[in-house]
Amino acid sequence: MSDRYYFRFNLYHRILHGMVIVSFLGLALTGLPLKYAHTGWGAGLSRALGGPFTTGYLHRFFAIITFTYFSLHLGYVLRLVLQRRPGIFWGPGSMVPQPHDLVQFVQHVRYFVGLGPRPRFGRWAYWEKFDYWAVFWGVSIIGGSGLLLWFPTFFARFLPGWVFNVAIVVHSDEALLAVGFIFTIHFFNGHLRPEKFPLDPVIFTGRVSAEDWRHEHPEEYERLEREGRLGEVAADPPPLWMRNFSRVVGFSSLAIGITLIWLIIWTALR
Amino acid sequence: MPQGLSRALVAAAVLGAALASGAAEAAAQAPTTEDCLACHADRDLKREKPARGQPASLFVDGTALGASAHGALECVACHRTATAPHERLPRVRCADCHDKVEPALAEGAHGRRGAQARAPAPTCTACHGTHDVRPVAAFSIDTCATCHAGQVRQYRESIHGASRRRGDSEAATCRSCHGAAHALLAKSDPRAPTYHLNLPRTCAACHADPELAKRHNIAVGAVYQLYMDSIHGRAVTRSGLLVAANCSDCHGAHDIKPHTAPTSRVFRANVPGTCGACHAGVLKDYAQSIHGREAARGSARAPVCTDCHSAHQIRRTEAAPWQLDVIRECGTCHAESLRTYRDTFHGKVTTLGFARVAKCADCHGSHTIQSTSDPRSAVASANIVATCRQCHLAATPKFTQFQPHADPTNRARFPGLYYVWLFMTLLLVGTFSFFGLHTLLWLPRSLADRLRRGRSQPDPEP
Repeated sequence: MSDRYYFRFNLYHRILHGMVIVSFLGLALTGLPLKYAHTGWGAGLSRALGGPFTTGYLHRFFAIITFTYFSLHLGYVLRLVLQRRPGIFWGPGSMVPQPHDLVQFVQHVRYFVGLGPRPRFGRWAYWEKFDYWAVFWGVSIIGGSGLLLWFPTFFARFLPGWVFNVAIVVHSDEALLAVGFIFTIHFFNGHLRPEKFPLDPVIFTGRVSAEDWRHEHPEEYERLEREGRLGEVAADPPPLWMRNFSRVVGFSSLAIGITLIWLIIWTALR
Repeated sequence: MPQGLSRALVAAAVLGAALASGAAEAAAQAPTTEDCLACHADRDLKREKPARGQPASLFVDGTALGASAHGALECVACHRTATAPHERLPRVRCADCHDKVEPALAEGAHGRRGAQARAPAPTCTACHGTHDVRPVAAFSIDTCATCHAGQVRQYRESIHGASRRRGDSEAATCRSCHGAAHALLAKSDPRAPTYHLNLPRTCAACHADPELAKRHNIAVGAVYQLYMDSIHGRAVTRSGLLVAANCSDCHGAHDIKPHTAPTSRVFRANVPGTCGACHAGVLKDYAQSIHGREAARGSARAPVCTDCHSAHQIRRTEAAPWQLDVIRECGTCHAESLRTYRDTFHGKVTTLGFARVAKCADCHGSHTIQSTSDPRSAVASANIVATCRQCHLAATPKFTQFQPHADPTNRARFPGLYYVWLFMTLLLVGTFSFFGLHTLLWLPRSLADRLRRGRSQPDPEP
């Protein structure tokens, strides 16, 4: 059966999330070998990537991509603000956590344990907002500590040396948190949970079918339908090349992430 | 009886007997042993004009002669020109019979003109005796001790000598290292088995055999192979460096002793002095270091040269493999410091096999190492900026406040870092617990949802 399609992510969103994927996987692949230098897989991965110094250069290259997408996103938000786009900082389309997110979280937990119906999520469910803000937290903490460790003699002109001790602990632990979170929780929420298993291509195609939209974000769909604005986001079905692209990039990313998290867990349990 | 008269009588008797047998001429030219002993059995028979360096007595012990290796020979076999009676005979030439020995002897140290001119000279008779010439089996170290008394005395106290005394037939004797006596070469001769560059192979005749090491409780089995791959072994065998240590430079030669003997050159307390015999500058630094001072005080835990450098596997210190291995070596005593070092970038890069970052000695020094509380230490506050600047050219005093051996889990020593670590740990545990539970609760509901709805509509292929 053919279904109508609507845009959920525009090209800019998708390119930026593509940069997030590339830089995040790159940082994980080039950072973990150093953190896990004492393990066989860490040493092997480091060697495969050209040793710790080459791996370090690659790591900083991906860090630059991170800083770039982060700036591009801030610029994007700034542009929306300058355009006086309504509802950026509050309202149903905003990323800002709001009371109804807390309500929906409670409703969702009640739904998990069979005490109520599935909450009717809007454009951004609470876990999606969490993921979004986690990037702000992660980039500032890991990026900031990473810059300290990148230019230690520069920062030591005005910062005491113990900040580098803090930076080492924070950079390493926060990276473990980020990697662990993305490769398990985000993967599950976004792709691996049975309703979406094994891959939700929406972040690559930008397009969502009406049925999926109504299932995942019914409040948003119905609001736009009510306001007669569905036509504004109407899309053609994703072409084959785009779906194949989604599969290649998506499954590759999932495979890299799951492999890495499996290695991390295996090392921790060993 | 006056000498002249007795000789005349003997001559007359011999002549008479010869005539009686009808072979006068032959007998006159080749007297029998009996004929000779007729005079020479006289204990008082002496030369009329004693020659320098030769015994005055002309007495020949017939019993000893008969029991000797030459017992079956007539006197004339050696004293070829002897007639009865006779005047002074030319010196016996052993080489007339033992013709294979002569060239070897002429090559060797014992046959050299200089040696032969010495007194006592290593002539054939000096070792083998004259009329009492002994079979080779009867030779002993005492034969060598006649001239080489000092060396033999040292040898008797050595591990080789002691083992021999205990009845160990495998233990080395003079010949084992120096070769057979006739062709024996001085150690200054490049062909000698004891020549500086040849000695390792000579020792290896026994000590390259792991089975021998096992039989004799020698700790290092493959010692020869290890040595040959070491910087000393390569210098000796590849470069022919006469100043590079061979076996005897460290272990001694005649006085070689097990490393457990306090008088051994390789006894723990003597190791710095032994290495310092060549590495004098290093020894001077080491002696003033915390390690050297502690070792000199008799501390069994303070490292001596071989603890870091090993004994037989000494490698180039400029090369990465050794520089990386020695980090672990430091950690055998400084375990806590090694553990915290491994948490840093420096420690992780060296773990990955790259030596281009700071290793223990880069900050603490090696032979000059001092306690961190010592003002002479490279990491003491007066020196640490310069130490960091070896790599971090723009290092400032603030930069040096970095704790390269911090332990975030140690609240007493690093309280600030501890609370950062605690916060991060709680953040991780909290986040993963929260979302882990969230996921686990969601999974069955999502599965049920999927089963009820079926998979989201398959995309129509365009």
